[in-house]
Amino acid sequence: MQTNEIQVSEVLRWIDEGQPFLLLDVRNREEFEHWKLEGTRPVETVNVPYFEFVEDPQAAIAKVPRGQTEIAVLCAKGGSSAFVAEVLRDAGVQARNITGGMIAYGQYLAPVKVPLAPGDQGRFEIWQFNRRGKGCLSYLVRSGSEAVLVDPSRSLEVYQAFAGQLGARIVRVFDTHVHADHLSGAPRLAAETGVPYFVAAGDGFELKQPVTPMQDGQEIHLGGEGGVTITTRIISTPGHTPGSTSYLVGDRYLLSGDTLFVNGVGRPDLGGQVVAWGKALFHTLRLRVAVLPDQTVILPAHYAAQSEIDPQGVVSAFLGELRRTSPELAITNEDQFVEAMRAGVHEPPAIYQEIIRTNLGLVAVDAEKATEWELGKNECAASRKLRETEARAAIAA
Amino acid sequence: MMHKLDARGLKCPLPIVKAKKQIETLAAGDTLEVHATDAGSVKDFQGWVAVNKQASLRQQRTEKDESGREIYVHLLEKVA
Repeated sequence: MQTNEIQVSEVLRWIDEGQPFLLLDVRNREEFEHWKLEGTRPVETVNVPYFEFVEDPQAAIAKVPRGQTEIAVLCAKGGSSAFVAEVLRDAGVQARNITGGMIAYGQYLAPVKVPLAPGDQGRFEIWQFNRRGKGCLSYLVRSGSEAVLVDPSRSLEVYQAFAGQLGARIVRVFDTHVHADHLSGAPRLAAETGVPYFVAAGDGFELKQPVTPMQDGQEIHLGGEGGVTITTRIISTPGHTPGSTSYLVGDRYLLSGDTLFVNGVGRPDLGGQVVAWGKALFHTLRLRVAVLPDQTVILPAHYAAQSEIDPQGVVSAFLGELRRTSPELAITNEDQFVEAMRAGVHEPPAIYQEIIRTNLGLVAVDAEKATEWELGKNECAASRKLRETEARAAIAA
Repeated sequence: MMHKLDARGLKCPLPIVKAKKQIETLAAGDTLEVHATDAGSVKDFQGWVAVNKQASLRQQRTEKDESGREIYVHLLEKVA
């Protein structure tokens, strides 16, 4: 039986698989332009605001193309789109409401298994949780009955249920840095389950979260009954933030946070000290990241475009590949690098200072406010403009 | 005449559905002050009056209600 509702996960599957349908977005034009529902392939999309259906249903219905057999209706929270879908069905046009709207899209987590090298298979697993609506990536590393969670969103029950299905429990939680674009779920997980939590804020930041301190280079052994011990090395990689930390899993998989992306580096300007943090990022990339072997798999905390998702659904790259393609990694002069970073300074993420203060544990926020703060895509990479023009100019200089 | 519509706590599309219904009952020159709690209502009311022939938007402002909630106030005037 066809229901009148459709879930975000199903809509994304339709788009990714190229199944034809019409995406009818009924938010106002500004909201539609600012943040769109996207998959890895293009989808026919039309924007007819819901208040046009309130005002003159016939005129609004006439604006909806009829070429597709399926219509999925989208709004901010799922209320207006349910109304519009009903108006359409009453007019004899089959339409389904996308449950929860853009709020649900912004919180949806898609778990994807990261392919491991043959020697690593069976010893452990790395699951990449893709927060499709925001371009945020979190990770669950599992060995035997134990799992480590890295950069979780607030939807903790999703990770906990998933770990449970794998027959594991989460024994540690890490953040790669104090995030500026979304709220970390790690402090609540630590508070509720008592597992050790580590994040480094870096010099000049007051961190009020109860963390279990760790040192650069420290190793963690993971894997209980039936599992194999792997090591997670903590590599301090300042730049994007002064405390940024990467985690090297099994000597091969680098959870690189916002230090190195598949297509760019983390912006070093959010602290208002682009020169100092830009220098730190340059040295991190040269001295801490570039020394790793080519076959190191970079698993970042963000991506900027749907095209970075590979056909298996994973966002990752070999370091050797990035050495050849990344303009930022190619710059060998500190001044040129800092200048390129400075040229790329752009609009910060919305409400980033409040989000940072909350993630530091300095203020508390209720769930409704948190949801509002997190609307929209991440803005954590150094700008595209930089990548396309300035960096090349800097290399050529 | 000045009229009020308490749309606090209502989710979209209800504030606009109710405002439209009430505007239709008013006489030209009457005003309707809508109190809503959804931040998205600001752009939505702007967009709605652009397609509505009967109402114009005289003012939009924010204030706090007695429980400290942020209220989005939309002052509409019946024009025809």
